[in-house]
Amino acid sequence: MTNFFLYLGLGLFSLVLLCLYRGIFGPGVLNRIAAISAIGTKTLVILLLMGFIYRRVDMFVDISMVYALLNFIGTITAAKYLEIKGEV
Amino acid sequence: MTRVTDDIIIRTVARIFIPFIQLYALYVIMHGHHSPGGGFQGGVILGASFILYLITHGLEEAKLRMSEVKAGIFSSFGVLIYSGIGLLCLILGSNYLDYGELSAILRVVPAQARSLGILGVEIGVGIAVMAVMFSIFFDISTGGVLAEDDEGEEEGG
Repeated sequence: MTNFFLYLGLGLFSLVLLCLYRGIFGPGVLNRIAAISAIGTKTLVILLLMGFIYRRVDMFVDISMVYALLNFIGTITAAKYLEIKGEV
Repeated sequence: MTRVTDDIIIRTVARIFIPFIQLYALYVIMHGHHSPGGGFQGGVILGASFILYLITHGLEEAKLRMSEVKAGIFSSFGVLIYSGIGLLCLILGSNYLDYGELSAILRVVPAQARSLGILGVEIGVGIAVMAVMFSIFFDISTGGVLAEDDEGEEEGG
């Protein structure tokens, strides 16, 4: 069962690389914000899979909840900044 | 970043989320010695809830909940709790922040006194970090210029 979680995490990691390409070369700021948000969501799932691999899910749930919260606040802050600047 | 947004989705989501974020921050502070987290991490989450309130509800409404003067008072109060517990251990004849001597005051065994002492220190650190995080964001979002100066001089954080 550990191998299953490991390969699932590796598959999500390859998806993170695809999102990172869009975050670096993506045209416009909105594409980059969406890419960073998607990377954050995938990182959250990867953290939980690491918790399953190390058999310490109760600890990794705390970390992933904080990660989701900060990702949410960061996305809202970037959107608010773009709204004020009027670049979009 | 200080203007009031008129998006009802953002305001409603923030209004529903903020109590749960603060409750989770208190959990992180209280369980700092059993699970990942502690005073600094819980303080950052607690400060993030206030920052979310400032982003969604605007500067004027956020100043009613947590103004710059209050942030300065809270940060000083948190440092006072931290250094007060440390100096109390020093007065009782032990090293700085050596909580074992607190068992004479709390009337518990030294192991439990160490647990309670580190909990008090983490509460102080959490309050200080929350106030400083909010104060930094407050200064950045206003650019250091406040519209009115009816609260005296601002030198918190």
